[in-house]
Amino acid sequence: MIYLLFLVFGYSIMVFGALGLVRFPDLYTRLHAATKCDTGGMIGIILGLVFLTDASLFIKAKMFLLLFLIAMINPMVSHAIARGAYKMGIKPQVKVDMYGWDNP
Amino acid sequence: MSRMPLYLKHRVEKVKERYLYEIYESKKLPPWERFLLTWAILLGFWVIITGDLTIRGLSLGIATTGIIAYYMRDLLTEDIRHSKHLVWKILYFLLIYLPQYLIIMAFRLLESNIKVARHVIFMDINPAIVKIKSDLHSNTGITLLANSITLTPGTLTLDVVRRLDGTYLYVHWIDAETLNPEKAGEVIKGDIEKWLKKMFW
Repeated sequence: MIYLLFLVFGYSIMVFGALGLVRFPDLYTRLHAATKCDTGGMIGIILGLVFLTDASLFIKAKMFLLLFLIAMINPMVSHAIARGAYKMGIKPQVKVDMYGWDNP
Repeated sequence: MSRMPLYLKHRVEKVKERYLYEIYESKKLPPWERFLLTWAILLGFWVIITGDLTIRGLSLGIATTGIIAYYMRDLLTEDIRHSKHLVWKILYFLLIYLPQYLIIMAFRLLESNIKVARHVIFMDINPAIVKIKSDLHSNTGITLLANSITLTPGTLTLDVVRRLDGTYLYVHWIDAETLNPEKAGEVIKGDIEKWLKKMFW
């Protein structure tokens, strides 16, 4: 029964991430929603699937490998998107912009 | 030390920096340890992905990963701090350091998910881009620190700049509590930097 808990947690976090993608005002805050909620929701779903399946041990190990790769690559991609967007000239709606002070 | 003239003080700080760099150069892992560590990691990857434990598959994997590890030994393990024997290092890493890091990151990820959900519902955002300083110098350490900061509650790494006295990170903070760089650094980095400084330069 524990898999149901993980699956419900993962799906609800994904729903909040998609909602944040619609509701937040600019690109950088939307990236917050996309990165964190995707990573956390995917970890919840994969842990639920690991508890659910009766497959052999290697398949579970492969799922953990997938989880590790997702948790490493997702933040890197979000960093690349944010930096590229700033270099292209999309201004963030913030109070204080120290990156803009140092790179005019 | 306190009554030293200013020009002399600068000079002494430069000498200390040079000394730190030379310690870093001399305390790298020796080549055979780097080779063995890379080999072990690649062999674990091979066994998990192929999934056959017959003698033919294992011998093929050992030969292939051995050749790759010989040429790529500087790529993965260059920045690890040298301490004690290799076996002790692996045991410490597997039994103490890795579970510590995973537990810290799991709780922070959970907290950050709940925080994003709260921000989505109430829209009480207060964003700012702040600049924090880190003491890590190596590529692997900075990469892991930036990834961990992106997954901690309410922060997103924008850019990394390396200077002589340390590394500066620009962080987009969705609910900025303070703009003072040191206090912001304490709040954002937390225990993760202390943990990473035990392992990497």
